[in-house]
Amino acid sequence: MAREVTRRTVIAGMTALAGTTLAAPAVRAQSKIVKVGMINPVSGHAAAFAQEIVPMLEFMFEKINKAGGIKSLGGAQIQLVAADDASQAGRAANEARRLISQENVSIIVGTFLSDVIAAVAPVLDQAKVPAVSVSGGGARGSYFYTLGLTYDRGYAETSVNFLNELVNKHKLPLKKILMVYANYEGGQQVNKYLLSRLKEFDHYEVIGEVPLDMQAQDYTSAMVRIRSMAPDAIMGAVLTRGGTLLQQARYSLNFNDAIFIGNASGYSDPALWKNLGEEIAQATLTRNLFSLTTFSKDLKLKSLQDLLAEIQATGRFNHAIGQNTQNAAQAARVVQHVLEIAGSTDPQEVNAAFSKLSIKAGDPDFYYARPGGLEFGADHLPKDISAMFTRWLPDHSQQVVYPSDFAEGAPPAKT
Amino acid sequence: MLNPSFWTLLRSPVPWIVLAVAVSAPLWMSPFYMSIAILTLFYVGFAMAWNIVGGISGLLSLGHSIFVGTGAILTSALFLNLGINMWLGVVIACVISALVGAVISWLDYRFRLGHLSFALITLAFAEVFLLVVLGTDFLGGASGLILPNDTGNFLQFEFGGGRGYFYLSLSLAVFALLVNLLIINSPLGYFLRCIRDNEDAAQAIGIDLLRCKMVSMAISGALSALVGAAYGRYMVFIDPYLFAGLNLTIEVVLVATIGGLGTPFGPLVATLLLIPFGEVIRGHLGGVLPGLHTFIYGALIVIVILAMPRGLVPTAQDWWQRRRRRGEAAQEKPELQRGLKPPTPMED
Repeated sequence: MAREVTRRTVIAGMTALAGTTLAAPAVRAQSKIVKVGMINPVSGHAAAFAQEIVPMLEFMFEKINKAGGIKSLGGAQIQLVAADDASQAGRAANEARRLISQENVSIIVGTFLSDVIAAVAPVLDQAKVPAVSVSGGGARGSYFYTLGLTYDRGYAETSVNFLNELVNKHKLPLKKILMVYANYEGGQQVNKYLLSRLKEFDHYEVIGEVPLDMQAQDYTSAMVRIRSMAPDAIMGAVLTRGGTLLQQARYSLNFNDAIFIGNASGYSDPALWKNLGEEIAQATLTRNLFSLTTFSKDLKLKSLQDLLAEIQATGRFNHAIGQNTQNAAQAARVVQHVLEIAGSTDPQEVNAAFSKLSIKAGDPDFYYARPGGLEFGADHLPKDISAMFTRWLPDHSQQVVYPSDFAEGAPPAKT
Repeated sequence: MLNPSFWTLLRSPVPWIVLAVAVSAPLWMSPFYMSIAILTLFYVGFAMAWNIVGGISGLLSLGHSIFVGTGAILTSALFLNLGINMWLGVVIACVISALVGAVISWLDYRFRLGHLSFALITLAFAEVFLLVVLGTDFLGGASGLILPNDTGNFLQFEFGGGRGYFYLSLSLAVFALLVNLLIINSPLGYFLRCIRDNEDAAQAIGIDLLRCKMVSMAISGALSALVGAAYGRYMVFIDPYLFAGLNLTIEVVLVATIGGLGTPFGPLVATLLLIPFGEVIRGHLGGVLPGLHTFIYGALIVIVILAMPRGLVPTAQDWWQRRRRRGEAAQEKPELQRGLKPPTPMED
């Protein structure tokens, strides 16, 4: 039986047609998605990194999406595909394979500590998919890029330059240097490069090395040994837990005869104040101690201050904001910029875009105090990878004392 | 002389069908699932090697990281620092591991260590080994060692990507299974099980305890080193905490225990189930909620241990035998009833 065409049917049909036509661009816009893989140690011994990095990456990609997504791809929205490497390098390689082969991501971003980079690099080389490391101390292969401070140019060179400035410009009598470092991969590597850099100057005498046991519950015996060697300066990379134990031991033995020129979170993590307690922190952190970092919440850098104000307003960040969070924000911007330059979701074109990436100092998307801005060199590391030295003030803030371009005060004389 | 059941097993079509399906896997598996398969097969190798000591001999070794680490780290260090071909390095690592295993067994025999003492002694050796690796530059220290990328040069112990490593790990898993079956079905297997069940009684009937323990530990050590070297080459980065740390040994002991100690198929089945399960749930839930996959994995292990205290395979075997007996009894019953039925007048 033929169905009768009524006025109601015509109106319904026209409405449906108009709705479909009007909705089409929206549907098309929604379908434009760039998949970005995100691998972090959400569980396992390195989970503290993920606690700092993951919320910032998520926040930044949301922010980028809200601001119109990737414009060269017609406003494509970034879709994060998260993975947990369980703090194991081998697991990270498996997750990279999954993201590449199952999820078809265009680029991967994540914590990627140095051991993880070594394990994942062959996977990326084989699949030809680029990745950005937030905290790795080096890049490997043809598809890895890192924003973390590298052991040599990032940590060792900056530390020795600062030491030279203390000796030459501020006339501090620092000659006998003792290497004190956490006995893990990063600590050993930084120590190796520090020794190599110090050898270039006849003025310094390396009087010994004290590798700190990562499993130890107390560093008093290590501090007794340090004190017995009577160093003028102590240098090396220590992580937050090690830094806490070291300063506790220093406080117990009332050892204030040397200057600490420290690398890594064991000297610069704001959590040290909480871990040590007010009394010990005031007596140790603010006295004869300088920490290398790329981050200071008091740094007078507009882009960074705007970002800090923005994330403070969200109330989403439970963890103290530090260098890793700053790197994560920058990594998200790097992903955004290379996707914009590539104008494609093809991983090889995204990889090629890294060589064209250039974010100038002063750009609102650049969060470091580096005059050279951000460009990647042939070694896949930022060309300007300099860092700052800060000292803790009694109000828990950090004052930049080096380099002079960003310094807010001179290093105080030894007390 | 081997137990005839060994040859019966080899004559059965089941292992050959399983092997044929496994061999064809690279043709239909995605790279992600292939990498899980490779990891699983390496763990089968580790579990099988550990089972020789922990399952068949009843010696709860927590020091197998020494052998795995020797295989992966020493082989790579010899190659990177001295240019020694990795095939030769594997042989050296296997010999050293066998000797170290024999020495540990000698200590066990000499001091008559109980099960707990043996576990603690091997744990202490493993910790010392890790500290030695972390503090020795030649072995890569805490930074580990990085092997050159695999170019597929077989003569340099390179197997050319996923497919090559799948077949390598499959071969090693099958080899380790065969070694287990050979031991279990040989006089050595009987001696080891006798020692496991009652050491004093075993000695009283003339079993050479020292020889049996040393041989089992040496075989287990060498096999662990062999699989460790292959796993290291696959990983490229020789992470000291992975290869010389305790976690890998604990994982292996866990899967072997859940599968059922003493049987070769217990560790095999448990590894084939648990390792892929852990990888897949981490892959799909790892980014959803921190630790959710670990919780699910842990909860499942607790449930399995509570529900099947003897392990998966022995419980399955019991169930199967009970079912078969019931079936046989059900078949016999009508026969019996027919036999007991009073004769009919016609039959008279």
